[in-house]
Amino acid sequence: MMQLKNDQSRYGAIAKAFHWAIVALVITQFILANQAHDLPAGLEKLQVLARHKSVGITIFALAVLRLLWRLFNPVPAYPAAMPRWQHLAARSSHFLLYALLLVLPILGWLMSSARNFPVSWFGIVTLPDLIRPNEAAFHFLHEAHETLAKVLFVLALIHAAAALKHHFIDKDDVLRRMLPVKLKGTPDRASSD
Amino acid sequence: MHTRLKLASLAALTLLFGLALAATQWTLQPGESQLTFVATQAGAKFEGRFEKFEADITFDPESLAGARFDVRVDLRSVNTQDSERDSIIKGPDLFDVDRWPTAHYVADSFTAKGGGKFTARGKLTLRDVTRVVPIEFTFERANGGAWLKGSATLNRLDFGVGQGEWKDTESVGNEVAVRFSLRLM
Repeated sequence: MMQLKNDQSRYGAIAKAFHWAIVALVITQFILANQAHDLPAGLEKLQVLARHKSVGITIFALAVLRLLWRLFNPVPAYPAAMPRWQHLAARSSHFLLYALLLVLPILGWLMSSARNFPVSWFGIVTLPDLIRPNEAAFHFLHEAHETLAKVLFVLALIHAAAALKHHFIDKDDVLRRMLPVKLKGTPDRASSD
Repeated sequence: MHTRLKLASLAALTLLFGLALAATQWTLQPGESQLTFVATQAGAKFEGRFEKFEADITFDPESLAGARFDVRVDLRSVNTQDSERDSIIKGPDLFDVDRWPTAHYVADSFTAKGGGKFTARGKLTLRDVTRVVPIEFTFERANGGAWLKGSATLNRLDFGVGQGEWKDTESVGNEVAVRFSLRLM
């Protein structure tokens, strides 16, 4: 049976669920954002953006919960063979990824307020406006939101590439310990510590 | 009765009646007055306003029989703080301002609700539809003039504001609240 909490060698089911749910939702966000970008002003664009906002707020909430979980439930150790510079690279990229998961939704929320399109979470809860409508602020926030989304895109690719490198080149368990299922044909390697 | 006397009393009556009318006929102060609405997009309410409107208000709380509101709203002046949304609202599927640039509200039936509150039963014409829309309002004398403040709720689809895909009420709510605060002198 899969354990819920992390231990020194692997992530528990809850940390994995947070990770993969956020992966799925972030991919959804890029798809919805690109759809909205290509649509003319109209009902469909309104609907796509409403979904994008609801998913964004969901990501924000999940990221907060995930960080709280992480705070009380330390993450597995890095492989013993991993060089110092990679520790630093991993730490800073994880920090940035978390920061973007929090900052992007807030920028989106600010954008919506600035454009007088208040945010509703799936039509269930309406969020209060953070700032008053202001066209100049909207354009600035829109730029910032888009630019940081591109940063997130690149960082997520680096993150995935690094995980694959650990698996296929370093042949350690960094990728496997976050996978939701065991890889077929790969025996459970003992942790490196 | 002499003809001259008859004419004189008629003139006096006309003058008196005119004065009585003049006493309750107000001039709208556009700079201090506001006409706003609250609509719903994707489940969240947002506020918009009309920058241009005219109102002929004849109102005396002591004599409701002669009261009358005649309000004309320039729908091209709609402002929701987003030009993209404004042009959709002005477009053929919603207000269609090229064909119907003005909304018109006329009320001449008033009821006092007590405590300075009143109800008007007037007719609103939006696009090519005219329907009864009651409004609730208060009337307060202030600084030599008066404030007329109130609200009404209407369903946009009753007036055809929302054709084709814009009939969808999940993305754009049917109910729209209208609020006004009119400064009268």
